[in-house]
Amino acid sequence: MLAFAAIIVAGGVIFWKLVDAEFQRVFLQAAIRGHYTIHSAFDIVRDLLVYHLAGLFLGVLLAGSALVLLLVAATRRGIGKAVASLLASAAGDLSTPTGTCPIGEFERFGKKIDATRSDTLDTVLKVRSEAAALAAGGMSPEEFRLRWDELKQRIRRIAP
Amino acid sequence: MSGPEAPGYGPLVQPRYVHGLLLRLCVNFAGGVGVLFVILYFALSRPLPGDYAGIYLALRNLSPFLRPILAVSVLVYALLACGSTSALCVYILHKVAGPLYRMEMVMDQYRSGAPTRTVSFRNGDQIQALAQAFNLWIGTLRRDRQRWLATMKDAERHCLQDEATCRAEMEEALRRVAGDMARYR
Repeated sequence: MLAFAAIIVAGGVIFWKLVDAEFQRVFLQAAIRGHYTIHSAFDIVRDLLVYHLAGLFLGVLLAGSALVLLLVAATRRGIGKAVASLLASAAGDLSTPTGTCPIGEFERFGKKIDATRSDTLDTVLKVRSEAAALAAGGMSPEEFRLRWDELKQRIRRIAP
Repeated sequence: MSGPEAPGYGPLVQPRYVHGLLLRLCVNFAGGVGVLFVILYFALSRPLPGDYAGIYLALRNLSPFLRPILAVSVLVYALLACGSTSALCVYILHKVAGPLYRMEMVMDQYRSGAPTRTVSFRNGDQIQALAQAFNLWIGTLRRDRQRWLATMKDAERHCLQDEATCRAEMEEALRRVAGDMARYR
Protein backbone atom coordinates (compact mmCIF):
# COMPACT_ATOMS: atom_id res chain seq x y z
CA MET A 1 0.00 0.00 0.00
CA LEU A 2 2.84 2.37 0.90
CA ALA A 3 4.69 1.51 -2.30
CA PHE A 4 1.61 2.45 -4.37
CA ALA A 5 1.25 5.68 -2.39
CA ALA A 6 4.94 6.46 -2.98
CA ILE A 7 4.49 5.97 -6.75
CA ILE A 8 1.42 8.24 -6.83
CA VAL A 9 3.06 10.96 -4.72
CA ALA A 10 6.32 10.79 -6.71
CA GLY A 11 4.35 11.07 -9.96
CA GLY A 12 2.39 14.02 -8.58
CA VAL A 13 5.51 15.87 -7.43
CA ILE A 14 7.28 15.36 -10.79
CA PHE A 15 4.13 16.50 -12.60
CA TRP A 16 3.88 19.58 -10.35
CA LYS A 17 7.52 20.58 -10.87
CA LEU A 18 7.44 20.09 -14.65
CA VAL A 19 4.06 21.71 -15.22
CA ASP A 20 4.82 24.65 -12.94
CA ALA A 21 8.05 25.49 -14.80
CA GLU A 22 6.43 25.00 -18.21
CA PHE A 23 3.29 27.00 -17.39
CA GLN A 24 5.32 29.93 -16.00
CA ARG A 25 7.32 30.05 -19.23
CA VAL A 26 4.31 29.64 -21.52
CA PHE A 27 2.20 32.26 -19.72
CA LEU A 28 5.07 34.74 -19.91
CA GLN A 29 5.39 34.18 -23.66
CA ALA A 30 1.61 34.36 -24.11
CA ALA A 31 1.42 37.64 -22.14
CA ILE A 32 3.84 39.26 -24.58
CA ARG A 33 1.72 37.98 -27.48
CA GLY A 34 -1.54 39.05 -25.82
CA HIS A 35 -2.78 40.88 -28.92
CA TYR A 36 -3.87 37.52 -30.34
CA THR A 37 -7.33 36.31 -29.36
CA ILE A 38 -7.05 34.22 -26.21
CA HIS A 39 -10.26 33.21 -24.44
CA SER A 40 -8.75 31.77 -21.27
CA ALA A 41 -5.48 30.68 -19.71
CA PHE A 42 -6.61 27.10 -20.24
CA ASP A 43 -6.58 27.64 -24.04
CA ILE A 44 -2.89 28.52 -23.83
CA VAL A 45 -1.82 25.44 -21.89
CA ARG A 46 -4.40 22.87 -23.04
CA ASP A 47 -2.05 20.83 -25.23
CA LEU A 48 0.79 21.07 -22.75
CA LEU A 49 -1.49 20.03 -19.88
CA VAL A 50 -2.90 17.06 -21.80
CA TYR A 51 0.63 16.01 -22.74
CA HIS A 52 1.82 16.15 -19.13
CA LEU A 53 -1.31 14.48 -17.78
CA ALA A 54 -0.82 11.65 -20.28
CA GLY A 55 2.79 11.41 -19.11
CA LEU A 56 1.68 11.31 -15.47
CA PHE A 57 -0.95 8.65 -16.20
CA LEU A 58 1.43 6.45 -18.17
CA GLY A 59 4.31 6.86 -15.72
CA VAL A 60 2.22 6.05 -12.65
CA LEU A 61 0.39 3.23 -14.46
CA LEU A 62 3.63 1.60 -15.63
CA ALA A 63 5.25 1.87 -12.20
CA GLY A 64 2.06 0.62 -10.50
CA SER A 65 1.70 -2.27 -12.95
CA ALA A 66 5.34 -3.21 -12.41
CA LEU A 67 4.68 -3.26 -8.67
CA VAL A 68 1.56 -5.41 -9.10
CA LEU A 69 3.47 -7.87 -11.30
CA LEU A 70 6.30 -7.93 -8.77
CA LEU A 71 3.85 -8.70 -5.97
CA VAL A 72 2.20 -11.43 -8.05
CA ALA A 73 5.61 -12.93 -8.86
CA ALA A 74 6.58 -12.86 -5.16
CA THR A 75 3.25 -14.49 -4.26
CA ARG A 76 3.72 -17.18 -6.91
CA ARG A 77 7.25 -17.85 -5.74
CA GLY A 78 6.42 -17.86 -2.01
CA ILE A 79 3.22 -19.88 -2.24
CA GLY A 80 4.73 -22.12 -4.94
CA LYS A 81 7.42 -23.15 -2.50
CA ALA A 82 4.84 -23.71 0.23
CA VAL A 83 2.78 -25.92 -2.12
CA ALA A 84 5.92 -27.82 -3.19
CA SER A 85 6.77 -28.32 0.49
CA LEU A 86 3.30 -29.73 1.26
CA LEU A 87 3.46 -32.02 -1.78
CA ALA A 88 6.89 -33.24 -0.63
CA SER A 89 5.36 -33.84 2.81
CA ALA A 90 2.70 -36.03 1.20
CA ALA A 91 5.58 -38.02 -0.32
CA GLY A 92 7.18 -38.41 3.13
CA ASP A 93 9.71 -35.56 3.14
CA LEU A 94 8.95 -33.68 6.35
CA SER A 95 12.39 -32.24 7.01
CA THR A 96 13.52 -30.22 3.95
CA PRO A 97 12.88 -26.55 4.81
CA THR A 98 10.17 -24.79 2.82
CA GLY A 99 12.44 -21.82 2.12
CA THR A 100 9.83 -19.28 1.05
CA CYS A 101 10.93 -15.84 -0.20
CA PRO A 102 11.94 -13.30 2.45
CA ILE A 103 8.72 -11.24 2.28
CA GLY A 104 7.40 -10.99 5.85
CA GLU A 105 4.03 -12.69 5.38
CA PHE A 106 5.34 -15.57 3.23
CA GLU A 107 8.39 -16.16 5.41
CA ARG A 108 6.18 -16.41 8.50
CA PHE A 109 3.83 -18.76 6.65
CA GLY A 110 6.75 -20.93 5.49
CA LYS A 111 7.99 -21.18 9.08
CA LYS A 112 4.51 -22.21 10.21
CA ILE A 113 4.40 -24.98 7.58
CA ASP A 114 7.87 -26.14 8.66
CA ALA A 115 6.79 -26.18 12.32
CA THR A 116 3.70 -28.24 11.41
CA ARG A 117 5.77 -30.71 9.38
CA SER A 118 8.38 -30.87 12.12
CA ASP A 119 5.72 -31.70 14.75
CA THR A 120 4.34 -34.44 12.50
CA LEU A 121 7.81 -35.88 11.85
CA ASP A 122 8.55 -35.80 15.58
CA THR A 123 5.35 -37.75 16.32
CA VAL A 124 5.97 -40.28 13.53
CA LEU A 125 9.59 -40.84 14.61
CA LYS A 126 8.55 -41.38 18.23
CA VAL A 127 5.88 -43.88 17.18
CA ARG A 128 8.35 -45.59 14.88
CA SER A 129 11.06 -45.95 17.55
CA GLU A 130 8.46 -47.24 20.02
CA ALA A 131 7.22 -49.75 17.42
CA ALA A 132 10.81 -50.87 16.76
CA ALA A 133 11.49 -51.17 20.50
CA LEU A 134 8.34 -53.27 20.97
CA ALA A 135 9.17 -55.43 17.96
CA ALA A 136 12.60 -56.16 19.43
CA GLY A 137 10.85 -58.01 22.27
CA GLY A 138 12.47 -58.78 25.63
CA MET A 139 9.63 -57.61 27.86
CA SER A 140 6.87 -59.23 29.85
CA PRO A 141 3.52 -59.91 28.11
CA GLU A 142 1.79 -57.45 30.46
CA GLU A 143 4.21 -54.64 29.70
CA PHE A 144 4.09 -55.47 25.96
CA ARG A 145 0.29 -55.31 25.94
CA LEU A 146 0.27 -52.01 27.84
CA ARG A 147 2.79 -50.39 25.49
CA TRP A 148 0.96 -51.87 22.46
CA ASP A 149 -2.27 -50.13 23.51
CA GLU A 150 -0.42 -46.86 24.18
CA LEU A 151 1.16 -47.09 20.76
CA LYS A 152 -2.23 -47.48 19.12
CA GLN A 153 -3.45 -44.40 20.96
CA ARG A 154 -0.43 -42.43 19.76
CA ILE A 155 -1.00 -43.54 16.16
CA ARG A 156 -4.65 -42.42 16.42
CA ARG A 157 -3.43 -38.94 17.33
CA ILE A 158 -1.54 -38.56 14.01
CA ALA A 159 -3.51 -36.23 11.70
CA PRO A 160 -6.68 -36.28 13.83
CA MET B 1 11.35 -26.96 -2.83
CA SER B 2 11.48 -24.93 -5.99
CA GLY B 3 9.09 -24.13 -8.79
CA PRO B 4 6.62 -21.29 -8.62
CA GLU B 5 3.72 -23.36 -9.95
CA ALA B 6 2.82 -26.69 -8.41
CA PRO B 7 2.69 -29.48 -10.99
CA GLY B 8 -0.75 -30.96 -11.52
CA TYR B 9 -2.53 -27.95 -10.06
CA GLY B 10 -3.96 -24.82 -11.61
CA PRO B 11 -2.03 -21.56 -11.55
CA LEU B 12 -1.48 -20.20 -8.04
CA VAL B 13 -2.68 -16.76 -9.09
CA GLN B 14 -5.24 -16.80 -11.92
CA PRO B 15 -4.23 -14.70 -14.98
CA ARG B 16 -7.78 -13.32 -14.98
CA TYR B 17 -7.26 -12.02 -11.45
CA VAL B 18 -3.98 -10.31 -12.47
CA HIS B 19 -5.63 -8.75 -15.55
CA GLY B 20 -8.50 -7.56 -13.36
CA LEU B 21 -6.02 -5.98 -10.95
CA LEU B 22 -4.19 -4.18 -13.74
CA LEU B 23 -7.49 -2.96 -15.19
CA ARG B 24 -8.65 -1.65 -11.81
CA LEU B 25 -5.28 0.06 -11.33
CA CYS B 26 -5.64 1.64 -14.77
CA VAL B 27 -9.15 2.90 -13.94
CA ASN B 28 -7.90 4.24 -10.58
CA PHE B 29 -5.08 6.23 -12.09
CA ALA B 30 -7.20 7.40 -15.04
CA GLY B 31 -9.82 8.63 -12.57
CA GLY B 32 -7.14 10.48 -10.59
CA VAL B 33 -5.72 12.11 -13.71
CA GLY B 34 -9.26 12.97 -14.85
CA VAL B 35 -9.94 14.74 -11.55
CA LEU B 36 -6.64 16.62 -11.88
CA PHE B 37 -7.64 17.71 -15.38
CA VAL B 38 -11.07 18.92 -14.21
CA ILE B 39 -9.59 20.92 -11.31
CA LEU B 40 -7.02 22.60 -13.57
CA TYR B 41 -9.68 23.22 -16.22
CA PHE B 42 -11.90 25.11 -13.78
CA ALA B 43 -8.92 26.93 -12.27
CA LEU B 44 -7.60 28.15 -15.63
CA SER B 45 -10.73 28.56 -17.73
CA ARG B 46 -11.76 31.99 -16.40
CA PRO B 47 -12.28 34.24 -19.46
CA LEU B 48 -9.50 36.72 -20.16
CA PRO B 49 -10.22 40.40 -20.95
CA GLY B 50 -10.43 41.28 -24.62
CA ASP B 51 -7.69 43.95 -24.82
CA TYR B 52 -3.92 43.43 -24.95
CA ALA B 53 -3.21 45.16 -21.63
CA GLY B 54 -5.92 43.18 -19.86
CA ILE B 55 -4.62 39.87 -21.19
CA TYR B 56 -1.04 40.84 -20.34
CA LEU B 57 -1.91 41.77 -16.76
CA ALA B 58 -4.22 38.78 -16.25
CA LEU B 59 -1.54 36.34 -17.40
CA ARG B 60 1.23 38.06 -15.40
CA ASN B 61 -1.00 38.10 -12.30
CA LEU B 62 -1.80 34.42 -12.76
CA SER B 63 1.84 33.36 -12.30
CA PRO B 64 2.00 33.87 -8.48
CA PHE B 65 -1.21 31.82 -8.04
CA LEU B 66 -0.14 29.07 -10.40
CA ARG B 67 2.06 27.26 -7.90
CA PRO B 68 -0.61 27.01 -5.13
CA ILE B 69 -3.26 26.03 -7.71
CA LEU B 70 -1.05 23.23 -9.01
CA ALA B 71 -0.06 22.18 -5.49
CA VAL B 72 -3.68 21.90 -4.32
CA SER B 73 -4.80 20.06 -7.45
CA VAL B 74 -1.88 17.61 -7.25
CA LEU B 75 -2.65 17.09 -3.56
CA VAL B 76 -6.30 16.33 -4.33
CA TYR B 77 -5.17 13.95 -7.10
CA ALA B 78 -2.73 12.21 -4.75
CA LEU B 79 -5.31 11.82 -2.00
CA LEU B 80 -7.97 10.47 -4.36
CA ALA B 81 -5.59 8.10 -6.14
CA CYS B 82 -4.10 6.88 -2.84
CA GLY B 83 -7.62 6.34 -1.43
CA SER B 84 -8.85 4.31 -4.38
CA THR B 85 -5.56 2.36 -4.58
CA SER B 86 -5.86 1.55 -0.87
CA ALA B 87 -9.29 0.06 -1.61
CA LEU B 88 -7.64 -1.98 -4.37
CA CYS B 89 -4.96 -3.18 -1.94
CA VAL B 90 -7.70 -4.32 0.47
CA TYR B 91 -9.22 -6.31 -2.43
CA ILE B 92 -5.79 -7.90 -3.11
CA LEU B 93 -5.39 -8.77 0.59
CA HIS B 94 -8.90 -10.22 0.71
CA LYS B 95 -8.18 -12.66 -2.12
CA VAL B 96 -4.60 -13.66 -1.22
CA ALA B 97 -3.86 -12.88 2.43
CA GLY B 98 -7.33 -14.10 3.50
CA PRO B 99 -6.71 -17.71 2.36
CA LEU B 100 -3.21 -17.57 3.91
CA TYR B 101 -4.71 -16.52 7.24
CA ARG B 102 -7.27 -19.35 7.10
CA MET B 103 -4.52 -21.86 6.29
CA GLU B 104 -2.55 -20.62 9.31
CA MET B 105 -5.62 -21.13 11.51
CA VAL B 106 -6.03 -24.69 10.20
CA MET B 107 -2.34 -25.45 10.83
CA ASP B 108 -2.59 -24.07 14.38
CA GLN B 109 -5.64 -26.28 14.90
CA TYR B 110 -3.75 -29.29 13.50
CA ARG B 111 -0.74 -28.66 15.74
CA SER B 112 -2.94 -28.34 18.81
CA GLY B 113 -4.18 -31.88 18.16
CA ALA B 114 -7.78 -30.87 17.45
CA PRO B 115 -9.60 -32.67 14.61
CA THR B 116 -8.71 -30.96 11.33
CA ARG B 117 -11.29 -30.49 8.62
CA THR B 118 -10.54 -30.37 4.90
CA VAL B 119 -9.47 -26.87 3.88
CA SER B 120 -11.58 -25.19 1.22
CA PHE B 121 -11.25 -21.60 0.08
CA ARG B 122 -14.04 -19.30 -1.06
CA ASN B 123 -14.96 -19.14 -4.72
CA GLY B 124 -12.68 -16.57 -6.38
CA ASP B 125 -9.93 -16.86 -3.76
CA GLN B 126 -6.46 -17.24 -5.19
CA ILE B 127 -3.75 -19.79 -4.21
CA GLN B 128 -6.29 -22.67 -4.28
CA ALA B 129 -3.37 -25.06 -4.91
CA LEU B 130 -2.22 -24.45 -1.34
CA ALA B 131 -5.45 -25.87 0.12
CA GLN B 132 -5.32 -28.81 -2.32
CA ALA B 133 -1.70 -29.62 -1.38
CA PHE B 134 -2.47 -29.40 2.35
CA ASN B 135 -5.52 -31.64 1.95
CA LEU B 136 -3.42 -34.13 -0.04
CA TRP B 137 -0.79 -34.24 2.72
CA ILE B 138 -3.32 -34.67 5.54
CA GLY B 139 -5.21 -37.23 3.44
CA THR B 140 -2.01 -39.25 2.89
CA LEU B 141 -1.20 -39.11 6.60
CA ARG B 142 -4.71 -40.31 7.48
CA ARG B 143 -4.55 -43.18 4.99
CA ASP B 144 -1.18 -44.22 6.42
CA ARG B 145 -2.55 -44.00 9.96
CA GLN B 146 -5.53 -46.19 9.02
CA ARG B 147 -3.19 -48.70 7.39
CA TRP B 148 -0.94 -48.86 10.48
CA LEU B 149 -3.93 -49.32 12.78
CA ALA B 150 -5.38 -51.96 10.43
CA THR B 151 -2.05 -53.83 10.49
CA MET B 152 -2.06 -53.81 14.30
CA LYS B 153 -5.73 -54.81 14.47
CA ASP B 154 -5.05 -57.66 12.06
CA ALA B 155 -2.28 -58.89 14.35
CA GLU B 156 -4.62 -58.72 17.36
CA ARG B 157 -6.94 -61.22 15.69
CA HIS B 158 -4.24 -63.85 16.15
CA CYS B 159 -4.61 -63.46 19.90
CA LEU B 160 -7.57 -65.83 19.66
CA GLN B 161 -4.89 -68.48 19.04
CA ASP B 162 -2.09 -69.28 21.48
CA GLU B 163 -0.02 -66.60 23.27
CA ALA B 164 3.21 -67.28 21.35
CA THR B 165 1.56 -66.91 17.92
CA CYS B 166 -0.20 -63.75 19.06
CA ARG B 167 3.07 -62.19 20.28
CA ALA B 168 4.93 -63.19 17.13
CA GLU B 169 2.22 -61.74 14.89
CA MET B 170 2.14 -58.52 16.92
CA GLU B 171 5.90 -58.13 16.70
CA GLU B 172 5.77 -58.79 12.98
CA ALA B 173 3.03 -56.16 12.64
CA LEU B 174 5.14 -53.68 14.57
CA ARG B 175 8.11 -54.33 12.29
CA ARG B 176 5.88 -53.73 9.27
CA VAL B 177 4.52 -50.50 10.78
CA ALA B 178 8.03 -49.29 11.67
CA GLY B 179 9.23 -50.18 8.17
CA ASP B 180 6.28 -48.34 6.63
CA MET B 181 7.03 -45.29 8.75
CA ALA B 182 10.61 -45.24 7.47
CA ARG B 183 9.46 -43.36 4.38
CA TYR B 184 8.90 -40.33 6.62
CA ARG B 185 12.20 -38.54 7.07
